[in-house]
Amino acid sequence: MTQMINLDIRGQICPSCLLLTLRELNQNGAAIRTGHTEVVVLTDDRQSTTTIPVTAERMGYRTEVVRIDLGYRIRIFGGI
Amino acid sequence: MYMIFEKALAQMLEQPYLLIVLTSLSIGLTAGFVMHRSDFCVTACFRDVFLFRDFFLMRQMLLLVVVSMVLFEVGRLTGAITIYPFPLLGPPSLGNAIGGFIFGIGMVLAGGCVCGSLFKFGAGSTSSLLAVVGMLIGSAVYAEIHPQWSAFAKSAVLIKGAITLPQWLGLPPSALLLPLAASGGFWLYREFRAGRMLRPAFAVGHLAPWRAALILALLGFTSYVLIGMPMGITTAYSKLGAVIEAVFAPEHVKSLAYFSLRPLNYTPPFSALSITGGPGSQLDAIAAIQYALLIGIVAGALFSSVRLGEWRLQWRLPHRQFISALTGGLLLGLAARMAPSCNIWHLWGGVPILAMQSLLFLAGLLPGTWIGALLLSRFVIR
Repeated sequence: MTQMINLDIRGQICPSCLLLTLRELNQNGAAIRTGHTEVVVLTDDRQSTTTIPVTAERMGYRTEVVRIDLGYRIRIFGGI
Repeated sequence: MYMIFEKALAQMLEQPYLLIVLTSLSIGLTAGFVMHRSDFCVTACFRDVFLFRDFFLMRQMLLLVVVSMVLFEVGRLTGAITIYPFPLLGPPSLGNAIGGFIFGIGMVLAGGCVCGSLFKFGAGSTSSLLAVVGMLIGSAVYAEIHPQWSAFAKSAVLIKGAITLPQWLGLPPSALLLPLAASGGFWLYREFRAGRMLRPAFAVGHLAPWRAALILALLGFTSYVLIGMPMGITTAYSKLGAVIEAVFAPEHVKSLAYFSLRPLNYTPPFSALSITGGPGSQLDAIAAIQYALLIGIVAGALFSSVRLGEWRLQWRLPHRQFISALTGGLLLGLAARMAPSCNIWHLWGGVPILAMQSLLFLAGLLPGTWIGALLLSRFVIR
């Protein structure tokens, strides 16, 4: 059973999305890498649909960006 | 009151105001649309360098500066640009660097600069609206300290009688600008080749920042050719601040020397008439240029986000961020008058002609952004 960490950062000032996501990645890195945990970010900040995947993938995670109603959902999950 | 407004509006729509208003409005609409689609945020360009060691957006900013440098110089050499250096620039003062420093802190805390907050507000961000409110308050606060600050800025002038670096060195502008632009262009070409000017984007309707940089440089050039100066917006905040303050304390506003200044006094291109403008509440040349630009930027971003189906007012915000946006806006409003003017004016307009005021503003902006990034990550976003 994969544990989900949900981050709803809609409406917050820049660069909350990337900073708060990085904090979760740093705190839960091992669990995310083994596939036990996923981080799901809800955001309406268009820039974070680029910065979060680029940064997370540079750290070795996989990402998926999906458009949702009035925003985006970014999923960060299991390592390589 | 209505008659006075109607008369002033009719006057604004006469030449040379008609060309100025139409140009500024078109430039604002395009800039707002482009900045929203590309997320071309000047604050992020600087902040991300300090916060994430991420230079991607800074490269785009350099592209904008280098292209503007070439366009402005070609414009000057071919006669398309007739006013050089452009109006409202003065000799360099320590005040420019101090203003830039406070501006740097403010823009990071606000989550956007004077222009960035406008396009984000247009796209529905209430934190950016708060930042704009803060800027209006900050501009009004500046009016209270203007006599003291102005005296300090004058006493802290570093080089008298020269506005640009080439003027100070006694060189023709091309002697400095063309080698600089060529070096910058060569470096950017290598960055393009190495793939460092592009990165994947998933937002709907995304415009690559390098394309946005080119469009924004062209808009700055258009503004310079048709209006006589590049994009600038901050005096409009003073004017709006004066209008709002006058509702509550009309006599006090009348008594403030700052609001009766007319620092803009020039003959625009394609006009035989000279026009004037200042930070007071009257509809004048500054109003024609900057109100139109301000309205255009908000409307352009609003149009873009509505077209994408992404516009929504978002009020759910941690209280620390409300305070940060308002405080940042206040610092921006204050600093934009102290500097004077904002990063758009200095980076997209002054730096490309090596105006020394703008270079000092940039020198202050960098450490200010660093301090702002420290404050943001320690006290605001937790």
